[in-house]
Amino acid sequence: MIVEILEALFLILTFLMTAYLIRHYVFTLAVLNHSHKREKAAVTTRNAAYQPRVSILIPAHNEERVIGRILQGMTKLTYLKDNMQVIVIDDASTDNTGEIAEGYAKPHNYIEVIHRNQSEGGKGKASALNRGLKQAEGEIIFCFDADYYPQKDIIEKLVAEFADPKVGAVQGRVTVLNEPQNLVTRLVALERIGGYRVDQQARDSLGLITQFGGTVGGFRRGLLESLDGWDESILAEDTDLTFRVHLAGYKIRYVNDAECYEEAVESWGNYWKQRYRWAKGHMQCAFKHSLKVLKSSNLRFKEKLDGLLLLNVYFIPVLVLLSWVVGVLLFLFHPPPWFNIFWALIPISLYSFVGNFAPFFEVGVGAYLDGRTRAYWLIPLLIFTFLYNIPICTKALADLFTSKISGKNCNHWDKTVHTGNGNSYIISQSKVS
Amino acid sequence: MLPAPNPMTFIVLILGVSTFILIMLLPAFLELKKPRDAGPRTIMNNIIAIPQLPTIMEAEKPMLDPTLCQKIAEILVALPNLEA
Repeated sequence: MIVEILEALFLILTFLMTAYLIRHYVFTLAVLNHSHKREKAAVTTRNAAYQPRVSILIPAHNEERVIGRILQGMTKLTYLKDNMQVIVIDDASTDNTGEIAEGYAKPHNYIEVIHRNQSEGGKGKASALNRGLKQAEGEIIFCFDADYYPQKDIIEKLVAEFADPKVGAVQGRVTVLNEPQNLVTRLVALERIGGYRVDQQARDSLGLITQFGGTVGGFRRGLLESLDGWDESILAEDTDLTFRVHLAGYKIRYVNDAECYEEAVESWGNYWKQRYRWAKGHMQCAFKHSLKVLKSSNLRFKEKLDGLLLLNVYFIPVLVLLSWVVGVLLFLFHPPPWFNIFWALIPISLYSFVGNFAPFFEVGVGAYLDGRTRAYWLIPLLIFTFLYNIPICTKALADLFTSKISGKNCNHWDKTVHTGNGNSYIISQSKVS
Repeated sequence: MLPAPNPMTFIVLILGVSTFILIMLLPAFLELKKPRDAGPRTIMNNIIAIPQLPTIMEAEKPMLDPTLCQKIAEILVALPNLEA
């Protein structure tokens, strides 16, 4: 009886993982087929005359090493300054973040700083953004993380998409600034290439659930207010808002050529903290939205399917671990006859080689489309991040269940530390030019 | 049925797997040791461009040769103290 249950479980796990692997191939092939056509069309149809008032929210908690960089970037934006409001939310910082931001606010009247004290602030990004939203006057609300450095004309590129009344939100591309720093930053850069250049682009091209990534994106103010802003009880406030926008019947557009640099995490420890928060938040969203996605009358079948795959993506590393355990148990308890048949190795090998290589293939195609010459030589090393994500996601799920049972709050926002090392890449270049 | 495993089977298996892993990771190690990729994607052609990879490598280089520093220190110790 136990063996039959294990076999059934093993088959279900294999089926689920195969669905994700097929998705990787579909996305990659879609981007290969449509990328040039779509980008060309996006440029030609961009409405440059549409320049509504925008508010840019920059939540910052102890970001003294990077806040100056993004504010410098804000002053260089080509968007009409009279139609622009930049709001820095100094979220209970104990360093010089507030003073640095004030230094930029004095000579630039479109930059404002909100100071939150220890009792009011420090409750996470969503809380800070909601505070910023109260002060925002723009028709479109943008969010940028403090460690980002925007492209000069990024606002024009993103705003143009709102000319379509069905578009409720827009997402730009994230590119790693400090990529050459070390192995971790290099691998994060590869993940970003796959995630944005391929995943997001494919979702946009195929009319699926394009994701708001929490930064380098914006919303219609009216829509954001009707959705009551950011949900402070969810750690992945961006994914939560993504689904609320789609469920409300609006679209999120991805603009691949609206690019912004980010400072990637530089150590395995910080990688763990960041991904643990993402995994836990994503799982919270899966519990909150999965049923709503299935029942929604605003989503088509393919959007529902993609939505469910997206919501549950952080469960996959846990399922991988489970499938390993089940596989070993099956072998130990009672090897089924097909284990001893030599030709059974053929489908197993095919699955391992063709299937498991799908995400690496996706990253490789992204690097190719970006014109990278040798970045994809590092792709085999992504196996380390893949393996590293297994304990991260397993712990996130275990902690989520523990907190549900014990009733303790599990939403502690473990902030990603930004060292400002990315500044050297900008500073050294400005010396050259 | 699969043949019964013997010590030779295990040795061949371990060697085979090790060789496969080495071949898989060799390009990655080469690129890590001597990066030839152009570095991060340049997103702002007319504003800033990302410096090439060697910039970081040069920054990590020690400012002075440690053996030279040691020799200078030895000479300084041997010199008479003019203030005394």
